[in-house]
Amino acid sequence: MGTVQIRDVRKSYGSIEVLHGVSIDIEDGEFVALVGPSGCGKSTLLRMIAGLEDITGGEILISDRVVNGVAPKDRDIAMVFQNYALYPHMNVRDNMGFALRQRRVSKPEIAERVDNAARILGLEQLLDRKPRQLSGGQRQRVAMGRAIVRNPNVFLFDEPLSNLDAKLRVQMRSEIKELHQRLKTTTIYVTHDQIEAMTLADRVVVMNGGVIEQVGSPLELYDNPASLFVAAFIGSPPMNFLEGDLLDKTTFALDDGTVLTLPEADPKGRTRATIGIRPEHFTIGATGWPALASVIEPTGSETQITARLAGKTIRVLIRGRTSTLPGETIHLNVDPQFIHFFDAAPVPVVAEMEDVA
Amino acid sequence: MSSVLTSMPRRSASTLGHKLRIAGGVVISLVFLFPIYWMILTSFKDQVDIFTTPPKFFFTPTLAAYIEYMQRADIVNRLINTIIVATGAGLLSIVVGTMAGYALARIRLRGAATFGLLILLSRGVPPIALAVPMFLVARKFGLIDKHITLILAYSTFLIPYVMWLMRSFFMGLPRELEESAMIDGCSRYGAFFKIILPISLPGVLSTLIFSMILAWEELLFALVLTNRHASTIPVAIAGIAGDTVNGANWAALTAVGTITVIPVVVFALLVQKWLIKGLAEGATKG
Repeated sequence: MGTVQIRDVRKSYGSIEVLHGVSIDIEDGEFVALVGPSGCGKSTLLRMIAGLEDITGGEILISDRVVNGVAPKDRDIAMVFQNYALYPHMNVRDNMGFALRQRRVSKPEIAERVDNAARILGLEQLLDRKPRQLSGGQRQRVAMGRAIVRNPNVFLFDEPLSNLDAKLRVQMRSEIKELHQRLKTTTIYVTHDQIEAMTLADRVVVMNGGVIEQVGSPLELYDNPASLFVAAFIGSPPMNFLEGDLLDKTTFALDDGTVLTLPEADPKGRTRATIGIRPEHFTIGATGWPALASVIEPTGSETQITARLAGKTIRVLIRGRTSTLPGETIHLNVDPQFIHFFDAAPVPVVAEMEDVA
Repeated sequence: MSSVLTSMPRRSASTLGHKLRIAGGVVISLVFLFPIYWMILTSFKDQVDIFTTPPKFFFTPTLAAYIEYMQRADIVNRLINTIIVATGAGLLSIVVGTMAGYALARIRLRGAATFGLLILLSRGVPPIALAVPMFLVARKFGLIDKHITLILAYSTFLIPYVMWLMRSFFMGLPRELEESAMIDGCSRYGAFFKIILPISLPGVLSTLIFSMILAWEELLFALVLTNRHASTIPVAIAGIAGDTVNGANWAALTAVGTITVIPVVVFALLVQKWLIKGLAEGATKG
């Protein structure tokens, strides 16, 4: 049973509180990603689950046992670090068997479990190498091997793919997902990359400034972002935002005076709002909001158009190809169900995420 | 193709630079090695050859100084004492200093930084100011002229030295190594002994060697705290140099000096290969 319950957990360094009461329930076998910009507290939370940081307030339970005062070695967890933390003086076999030796598992059983993990990860040929003789991707695999031989209650991953190049990152990402589907071990995965979080996790926890913004399945977050922050953070290319006054149900006056006619949607009683529309939810028609196309970027399967609408830069993503040329005016339409209303506020600056190729 | 063409002249230029660097290294080494060479040369000269101007490079060598002073200055006994004291002080300091350095580098303790700084500041006290109090304390406890006394006295300045060197060494290691070990089933001590210490061996070893050399050549405390049984080689050299009755005997001085240097050189040569191997391993930590 690898459940993890996080109950109103707080963390302070001196008088500075960095986690302001976080609660998450993680079920056995679930893959949960903690995602957010750097400094949001996601790594701190993971390290508190691991026992590497003290818990200032609240409780953490692993398999229904409060672990606040339990040493990392007694929590039955395994962790994969961003820099892999392979023991440089041991070969791959000894690195993978180290935790089992600490637990006085018999030698034949260690050999069997290491061989088994090596087979799963394709490391059989590398067992006698030292970490410095391995490539980045191989080190990453050894770090995962070291975790899976333990057969722990919970896997913790701390930005495990950040040190790999883009291509390898995508490959390892699917390997991690495959591994989880095979082993079904509860996994908590920290990343700043929303695509990693979306593609890997059953549930994504979006954190910002030491609090949870939203918890939900990847598509829930995508379809129904609870806050402007989540809306801006999830999705690539990012959502477009326009701030203005709702004069009536269908009239939206932007601050520069441009009036847009909205399809009938439910602004939930707001009179002033920021509306968000994902680039792929625009359709181009004969009538609609006029926007001046400035950059056309075809990728074959889809085309991204950067355009100016009421003095704002917006992105439009359409399936297939377009004959639109830069400098032409396009007319944009959007299905009312795809218009997100938020309380008017400046759009949070979400650090531009590195695109994963 | 183009990279091959352009790299040709650059490589020959770098070869010239390489040669210049080697030449510079040779010159600097000669400057450092010449006094040692001169010491060894002088130790085989007789009194007349030593004072000839211009100095003689070729002469009939004699072992007279060695034979006479092996006896007169009790060299064998003092050599053994020096080995005991340097080894003892080196080992004690490396054990205590390495663990203290680790604690300072890694464990979050209130006031640890201040504490570490205070220990370092204690090295600012001139040894001469400590010599007399140390003598009085040692006499009170009946510890005059004993090996353990010198070992403890040397540890007072070697432990801070080791501690600070090892602290910066440990700070250069990724923290995740111990964290990983602690998740894998180690206590803090287990992580230190099973992971950190093996990785740090090159650093520990070179620090140990420097500590032992510092203890090997120490004069002041040895002079004050010993008289016959536990007396070390530097005391003998000082005795010969300060011989006001017969005047400084240069042949004897250099002969004993040569004897002092030989064990250090042999030791350094013995561990050199291992040291370089270890350093190369440490440089590419996985």
